[in-house]
Amino acid sequence: MGQDNDSSAGMSRFEPQKVWDPAIRIWHWMLVFSVVSGWLLGEFRSFSTMQWHIYAGYTTGILILFRIVWGFIGPPPVRFRALAVTPSTLKKYAGKMLRREPSGAAGHNPVGAVSVILMLVLLSVQVLTGLFSEDDALFFDGPLASMVSGSTRTTLTAYHQLSSKAVLIVVLLHISAILFYLLWKRENLVKAMITGWKIVRK
Amino acid sequence: MTKRFKNIFIGILISCASLAALPMAQAADDDAVAQAIKARQAGFRLYSFYAGQLFAMAKGEQEYNADLAATLANNLVAVTELNNGMMWLPESDNTARKGKTRAQPEIWAADSNIGDKAQTLKDAALGLSLVAGDGLDALRGEIGAVGEACDSCHEDYRAEDF
Ligand code: HEM
Ligand code: HEM
Repeated sequence: MGQDNDSSAGMSRFEPQKVWDPAIRIWHWMLVFSVVSGWLLGEFRSFSTMQWHIYAGYTTGILILFRIVWGFIGPPPVRFRALAVTPSTLKKYAGKMLRREPSGAAGHNPVGAVSVILMLVLLSVQVLTGLFSEDDALFFDGPLASMVSGSTRTTLTAYHQLSSKAVLIVVLLHISAILFYLLWKRENLVKAMITGWKIVRK
Repeated sequence: MTKRFKNIFIGILISCASLAALPMAQAADDDAVAQAIKARQAGFRLYSFYAGQLFAMAKGEQEYNADLAATLANNLVAVTELNNGMMWLPESDNTARKGKTRAQPEIWAADSNIGDKAQTLKDAALGLSLVAGDGLDALRGEIGAVGEACDSCHEDYRAEDF
């Protein structure tokens, strides 16, 4: 390793590196669980399961809070600093994105960084509106619903529903992007999010 | 002095004119359609008042009281059995009366099944009324069907916001 004798050919330009720390990996799969279960419990709600929707929502909220803290004090690849992309780096990467080779980023590639921020913002909106939502058919209220007027409650409940559609779209995009990297770019990001080891450009 | 009187006179004139215009503005807001909308919303308020306390009991937020529970459930049955068809006038949907109602035009469409949904609620309320006074567990067993009947109609026929 390390010797650069055939650096022009194939995988020798890449090396495995430990990129994702254990906390972000556990965090990610907990988030998958809380978002998928929360979404399903909201969309297919019943009187006997609605309380679980609210618990799933609290779990998502706590996970988002953790991610915000981790964005400041976590290891370099998950810091918000590493997620700050400029239009020019984004454009530069987007131009190379369709190439049939791994991106080899030692963390998020620029397009990935944008989607991470989008997901975190959208899920924050989902949780925040949920806190003020009211279900006036099954009679469940978010814990802060009584702090606002009835018409505000109705509006925030409508936004909660609207943003749940956006969450669905963005999660499907997220999964499509991962499949695109796996099948087209031959880069297995899922394994990296499980083991922490990622193929990184030397 | 005379100029001041003139100003006061004009002021009074304007006030009288706007006071006279006020009832006219209200009339447009209180025609037969507006009254029907308010009446049916009052009906839903009653559903919500009776059902809401039963839900609060079922969730342990209000102490269970067998007599009150039975009365609330019987009242709910009574109001769901009213024939309020005359309140659903043409041109009383949320496109014709923006900001006043959340009732969607699909209610009036040829393939509307709002009648079936209303029947589902009636059946659920009746089922609840048969056991509501028999204890908390009996109440809990039947109340879900009531909320789910409300929810399913809102899902198809009520807009999310005004
Ligand atoms: C503390 C957090 C949350 C609370 C308190 C909460 C509360 C609520 C309430 C009261 C409703 C019922 C609204 C209605 O009847 O129309 C609802 C619906 C829903 N929620 Fe949440 N929620 C939270 C978080 C989330 C999260 C994180 C997601 C998804 C990622 C989510 C997805 C949904 C969905 C899909 C619906 C159904 C919307 C519909 O089709 O009517 N919620 N939520
Ligand atoms: C089974 C479905 C999913 C798979 C296979 C998956 C996989 C991945 C992978 C491989 C990454 C790292 C991407 C990179 O290297 O640039 C990632 C990141 C991320 N995923 Fe997922 N994901 C899934 C579902 C979800 C869901 C449902 C959510 C939440 C709505 C989500 C939210 C995120 C977020 C926020 C990140 C960024 C992590 C960070 O801040 O470092 N994922 N996901």
